[in-house]
Amino acid sequence: MPANARKKRNVAALKHAVRSYPGFLWWGLGQATNGGLGFYVWMTVLTAIALVGANAWAHQVAQGMIVTNMTDHVSWGLYIANFTFGVGLAAGGVMMVIPAYLYDDEEMHKVVIIGEAVAIAAIVMCTLSVLVDLGRPDRFWHLLPVIGRINWPVSMLTWDVIVLNGYLVINLHIVGYLLYMRYLGRKPNPKWYVPFVFLSIIWAISIHTVTAFLYCGLGGRPFWNTALLAPRFLASAFVSGPAFIILVMRILRITTGFAAPPKPARTLIQIIRVAMTINLVMLASELFTLFYTGGAHGESAKYLFFGSHGHYGLVPWIWTAIACNLIGTGLFFMPDALERSNTRIAACILCIVGIWIEKGMGLIIPGFIPSTLHEIVEYTPSLTEWKVTAGIWAFGFLLLTVLLKLITTVFAAEAHKTEIA
Amino acid sequence: MTTDNASPQEPHDGEHLKPLLPILDQHSTRRTLLKTAGAALGLAAFGEALSPLMVIPENVSVDEFLQQHYKELTDEDKKKVFARLEAETKERFGANVTITDAKPIPGVRFAYAINVSKCNGNGKCMEACNKENNHHRGVDQSYIRVLEMTKGSMDMEHGSTTYDHTVPQDDKFYLPVQCQQCDNPPCVSACPIEATWKEDDGIVVVDYNWCIGCRYCEAACPYHARRFNWELPEIPAEEVNPNQGYLSNRIRPQGAMEKCHFCLHRTREGRAPACQEACPTGARVFGDLNDPDSAINYVLKNKRVFVLKEELGTKPSFFYFFD
Amino acid sequence: MSGWRGVITSVILLAMLAGVTATMQIRASSDAEDGGSGAEALPDGSSVIHEKPSAVSSNTLVQPETFPVTVRKPSGPPRVATNLKDIHGEAVTVACSTCHSTRSPNLQNKTPHSLDEFHSGMKFTHGTVSCLSCHNAADYDSLQLADGHRVEFTDVMTLCGQCHGPQMKDYEHGVHGGLNGYWDLSRGPQQKNNCVDCHNPHTPQFPKMQPTFKPKDRFLEQSRSEH
Ligand code: SF4
Ligand code: SF4
Repeated sequence: MPANARKKRNVAALKHAVRSYPGFLWWGLGQATNGGLGFYVWMTVLTAIALVGANAWAHQVAQGMIVTNMTDHVSWGLYIANFTFGVGLAAGGVMMVIPAYLYDDEEMHKVVIIGEAVAIAAIVMCTLSVLVDLGRPDRFWHLLPVIGRINWPVSMLTWDVIVLNGYLVINLHIVGYLLYMRYLGRKPNPKWYVPFVFLSIIWAISIHTVTAFLYCGLGGRPFWNTALLAPRFLASAFVSGPAFIILVMRILRITTGFAAPPKPARTLIQIIRVAMTINLVMLASELFTLFYTGGAHGESAKYLFFGSHGHYGLVPWIWTAIACNLIGTGLFFMPDALERSNTRIAACILCIVGIWIEKGMGLIIPGFIPSTLHEIVEYTPSLTEWKVTAGIWAFGFLLLTVLLKLITTVFAAEAHKTEIA
Repeated sequence: MTTDNASPQEPHDGEHLKPLLPILDQHSTRRTLLKTAGAALGLAAFGEALSPLMVIPENVSVDEFLQQHYKELTDEDKKKVFARLEAETKERFGANVTITDAKPIPGVRFAYAINVSKCNGNGKCMEACNKENNHHRGVDQSYIRVLEMTKGSMDMEHGSTTYDHTVPQDDKFYLPVQCQQCDNPPCVSACPIEATWKEDDGIVVVDYNWCIGCRYCEAACPYHARRFNWELPEIPAEEVNPNQGYLSNRIRPQGAMEKCHFCLHRTREGRAPACQEACPTGARVFGDLNDPDSAINYVLKNKRVFVLKEELGTKPSFFYFFD
Repeated sequence: MSGWRGVITSVILLAMLAGVTATMQIRASSDAEDGGSGAEALPDGSSVIHEKPSAVSSNTLVQPETFPVTVRKPSGPPRVATNLKDIHGEAVTVACSTCHSTRSPNLQNKTPHSLDEFHSGMKFTHGTVSCLSCHNAADYDSLQLADGHRVEFTDVMTLCGQCHGPQMKDYEHGVHGGLNGYWDLSRGPQQKNNCVDCHNPHTPQFPKMQPTFKPKDRFLEQSRSEH
């Protein structure tokens, strides 16, 4: 084909796409809001929780952050903890793209799009978590380039804002493009998504690394100030992301009958096994440095694991996390975990809970305890904080449900088409 | 680019394919109706849930919302902004105040030193700070925290800020900590929007009307020097200090960060900071680092001086010394 | 295929690396700026000290173009309480000389311990000096220096300074005794305490105090019981 003609074709195809992409979205909205009774109940419950959260947040904005239990001593709490976990989830969701594309594992491709959907929902949750943590959300525009005044590249937080939003855009593009092509019944043109997939792999690593840098770049917080933080974040993301995807696929299979081939899940389990082992090894070496050397660096860890000066607030949390992680890892190593078994599900849930605690209550909070002047002020989230957090999770699930609904519908349609053919 | 020819060859486009897709929402108008009703209900509920936000238009004027960063304000803008803030203070706190914008004195670089041998931990500096800087009375806020330290250790681990007995205790010494006005301030690097910066005379300031309250700087500061306005400060009208600076002691808005500013509305006019005047033991020394004859340089040259957490490389402009 | 994948991957990695390096450079250069804006080098090349109307140090008591440093002075010779009341009910006080002019000094009395008629029970913790090391036996309404020269109560600092040289030196440099008013004497005056404002000459140690102001942090209650 002469290059000229091909170009024309491409332009024509593009024109067509621009004209009907909104149509596709509108159609998708219709699909995503269709379902059985169970679906509507699920969506209603999520909406209700999200509304409770929105209401709690509105009160927080009106009355001030005083309605949280954060203080000048523990100035970040549940919100940022949740944010950190969400970044891991988002990064992990895409990590599994790596085997799919790097090793041309065709079967993984179906799973990949679920991973991307998880990533999108997780990123939205992250953004919301940061938003609710702001004392002045009305000044959010100060963060925007050009009209605001962003302190880039010095402030790690600006990096984080940039990479998170970039990541969101990339994944929206990939998911949107792949679905749209399938909707049109065309084979996706790799030119339009493979580079972005690679970008998103690197980006996934970068969002988690940059988020780790947020904390470990602070010299005044010895507990965070460790070079191991970013690798640990990555390792745990390789666990929580795939584990979450396995759960999602299980639920999809039960509720919609959308079944991925068994091989990708096995690959995921293998990833988790390695990542979790690495994660635990790094945790152990971290603990060794903290406790064997002792001194100021170990103070937070001492408080976290054993309590100090009569304060034990985080001790139950962290031991729960350790127990979850160890048992979960153990279960992942059982042969059963390679099959569609309950062992696998239990292992996933345990590891997700374990990592959620480890990244949140076990990392963000003890960074502030003791404070930089070595005062011990404890922190437990207030009701408002729990409500807002629950609202954010509910919204995330809402979004994920809609995305998955869309994905399964399009895939089902395609399957239908192949059958006819 | 071998894959290229695989895709565009398909002759059909979306129109042809659409019928193949199981479009479920076509068969029932009742369902569509219900969905529309549900969406409307959801939106209404969302509006209701967010209704506490309705207080914001009262509290945040359009001018405030659109206000630019301090460094981008012209003198004309500043005049307007200050007038607006003065009016707001009058309205909310019932006090007549003047807001000024003291500029750094050219060639001056401020530094502070505290005589650890003298300080007896009586806390008059905290009280003076509270009054001078229009701090929240409800929590007796101040920019200073005095640590009671155990003799024989410089480890803050063995310190306490909550002591409540006659001072000084024989086995203790006292370490007041406030913003160290670092020359390499981690708080400034941390801030994503340049709401906090270091001025030419070494004072690190916050534009309380630009800060979004992310509290990253509070996490970054190694000296517990920053304070967040968890709620709107409350101050009885008769206790409001009317002599206010835009970057210093004006009453801070809810949700913004604040910190010690070496009383710049005083010190930039040549006056001593409030904590220094209040100190009954004379432990506090303040002055210009650039003046070789200043009190502060006398201390640096003649005393055994140390800074807190020197190993962090923050280069404080705040020194401690022994007699 | 795998070729251009590799290229894209490495390009992106390089870009990220460049970003990090740029950050570091910017940080480094801002460091350098900080270091440069010291005393010597102002951007316009002039020296700070010449710019200012007067190079002021706190010990310079009077200089052209500067405001004065006022040292508060004791009001004069002390008055001694007699435990008597006058017809208005006011306490009657007398000058030192009222009694001491009629009595000759007993050089055996070195400290208040040996006093049995007057001043008995007075606390005295000022080292090993005796009463007449400072009080002037020739005129009890004044003081005397070590060399026997008379010095007025209002000039007590000269007396203190004989022994407390280092403190005096610190004081003259503005790092002892605190101050009020202006740190910058080209802009306004300064007031300083004198020795006996803070130190009782008989019990010179700075008195103990009770802290009156403590931050009432939220949740402090928890930690207050500890430590
Ligand atoms: S002490 Fe804290 S607030 Fe002050 S300049 Fe240093 S880092 Fe910033
Ligand atoms: S709280 Fe305000 S000053 Fe501090 S980093 Fe955030 S925006 Fe900047």
